[in-house]
Amino acid sequence: MAPMWTFALVRLAGILLLGLFLGLIFGSPWLWVVLAASAYLAWQLSNLYRLDRWLRRRSQLAPPAIGGIWGDIISQVVRLHRRKRFHKQQLVQLFRELRKSTAALPDGVIILSGQREILWFNRPAGRLLGLKRPIDIGLRIDNLIRAPEFAGYLQGEDFSVPLVIRPSIRLDQYLALQLVPYGPGQSLLLARDVTRQMRLEAMRQDFVANASHELRTPLTVISGYLDTLAEDAGLDRAWEGPVRDMRAQAQRMNAIIADLLELSRLESADGEAPREPIDVPAMLERLRTDALSRTEPPRVISLEIATARWLYGAASEVESAFTNLLVNALKYTPVEGSVQMRWWADGDAACFSVIDTGIGIPAEHIPRLTERFYRVDPGRSRDQGGSGLGLAIVKHALQRHGGWLDVESSEGKGSTFTCHFPPQRVYERG
Amino acid sequence: METADLTHHISRRFNEDLEKVRNQVLQMGGFVEGQLHKAITALVEGDSSLGESVATEDYKVNGMEVAIDEECSRILALRAPAAGDLRVIVAIIKTITDLERIGDEGEKIGYIASRLATMERPADKYREVKHLGRQVAQMVHTALDSFARMDAQAALKTAQEDRMVDEEYESIQRQCMTFMMEDPRSISRALEIMWIVRALERIGDHAKNICEYVIYMVHGKDVRHTSLEDVAKQLDQAATRR
Repeated sequence: MAPMWTFALVRLAGILLLGLFLGLIFGSPWLWVVLAASAYLAWQLSNLYRLDRWLRRRSQLAPPAIGGIWGDIISQVVRLHRRKRFHKQQLVQLFRELRKSTAALPDGVIILSGQREILWFNRPAGRLLGLKRPIDIGLRIDNLIRAPEFAGYLQGEDFSVPLVIRPSIRLDQYLALQLVPYGPGQSLLLARDVTRQMRLEAMRQDFVANASHELRTPLTVISGYLDTLAEDAGLDRAWEGPVRDMRAQAQRMNAIIADLLELSRLESADGEAPREPIDVPAMLERLRTDALSRTEPPRVISLEIATARWLYGAASEVESAFTNLLVNALKYTPVEGSVQMRWWADGDAACFSVIDTGIGIPAEHIPRLTERFYRVDPGRSRDQGGSGLGLAIVKHALQRHGGWLDVESSEGKGSTFTCHFPPQRVYERG
Repeated sequence: METADLTHHISRRFNEDLEKVRNQVLQMGGFVEGQLHKAITALVEGDSSLGESVATEDYKVNGMEVAIDEECSRILALRAPAAGDLRVIVAIIKTITDLERIGDEGEKIGYIASRLATMERPADKYREVKHLGRQVAQMVHTALDSFARMDAQAALKTAQEDRMVDEEYESIQRQCMTFMMEDPRSISRALEIMWIVRALERIGDHAKNICEYVIYMVHGKDVRHTSLEDVAKQLDQAATRR
């Protein structure tokens, strides 16, 4: 037991003994003991009262000067209080710093509740999205950002890719909005001004399209003359070889420009591809016949139609994607090898695969295959006369249909290129 | 604030119903805004396919109007709302009518824009029409914002902008007439432009109507057919009384 408690007990005993002693002197000792005990109780009560008064108005009063156990309790309360105040100050400080730093972020930050109500937003968010404080606190965010795409984005599940919208308050602006869920139901909405990036991207696309277009005219003239020259019977024998080469290269350049134009058309086309019904089995039959008639020497191209499904999409884009895959497969498969096309159902989705027994692709190259002009083996593929844009076109065409390209390959054994089309693009007939 | 009133109801379901229908109105508003932007862009950039898509998408607006209307009738029949809630429902029923009309005018603009895209474009690239279009689109936007925020002051300010739209409309009209007198070959195009600016002017009126419903919803005052100065005075009085 702490010494002061012993002291307090001793004091109580002393007081009671004093009462008993006085009672023995003046008579009726029990009355005196009760008197002494009452006096002690009254004193303790008054101490309790002072403590209570101080605790209630701690900020204005100095702690009461009481000794003994009361003094100890008071000093403990004071210590506790001081420590708490210190922690509180620290927390407030931290909170202020946090708020200052989020407010200083160049991007807009909005804290949303589970019902998508605005709980807090920083200044850039207010500026970018036209939010007003304090009237907008507690309003649902989709009541203020009313673009239909945004409502769709909020209802969706996938927030990994930001949504780009043009806010109604400033139409020349592009904003990227991204939802970051955290905690139970709460989420952060990040808003960033991407006008510059979008403009640069548009400029790049325009440049590619314009440059390709401008190159086409002079090239047409050159190939025209080369065609005439090649058929001219009076041409010097020594020139035949060079003219033939020039003609082949001019044709290749034409193919590259055509691919570039196709690619920039796919890129600049807004949003999703249209939803025309496409008879995929018939299209594949045609592609196979075309390819068979063109390949020299004859090759094995088999076609397996495992599902009668059609697609909703843009026929020209789908056909160009399929053709590119088939041409690629033929290019990298030796004459004795085989190329197989498959149209099959994967659950509700539909897939198109091209399986070849060609040279295959080393694993480290696969993720980069769809980049423009990316070449696994620069010397080899240029000999084959490709534009280097085929797979980029496939990727973009699939993206416009909500699909994706999957590549499996083992070196020396062959590759499988698979186009996946999502269920909402599948046209189930009958 | 009125929004706070909305969230304190004896019946939680009623509360949710009101919130839901309010959100639907704002969603419809967002779609109509988008239609209007697309229609103006189609005109200014001569994009006939965009104009056509605006015209063909208008059925969605009509569908939304019908759905919200039904929902409102259901709430009226089931909950028999009173006072502020009744005003909200009444204001919503009126607002969607105006939104639907805005959608119709947008459809008209999109249709004419797709037709104009095939004609020769004027040298100024429809600068005045574009300006008017922006002004009107901004009005629709702030009207819907004030609806979302239940902000009568902002609604009043937006309603006052309608006068500027009217002035702009008249000046474009005069300009078109001058063109027609100068060069009879431009008559067909100028007439189409007149249709478009007329539609924009009507959209401005509808946006103003929506603002009036917002004031009605918040303050319970019918301010239709009253001069805006009187409305401002009344609102000031209401504010001082609080």
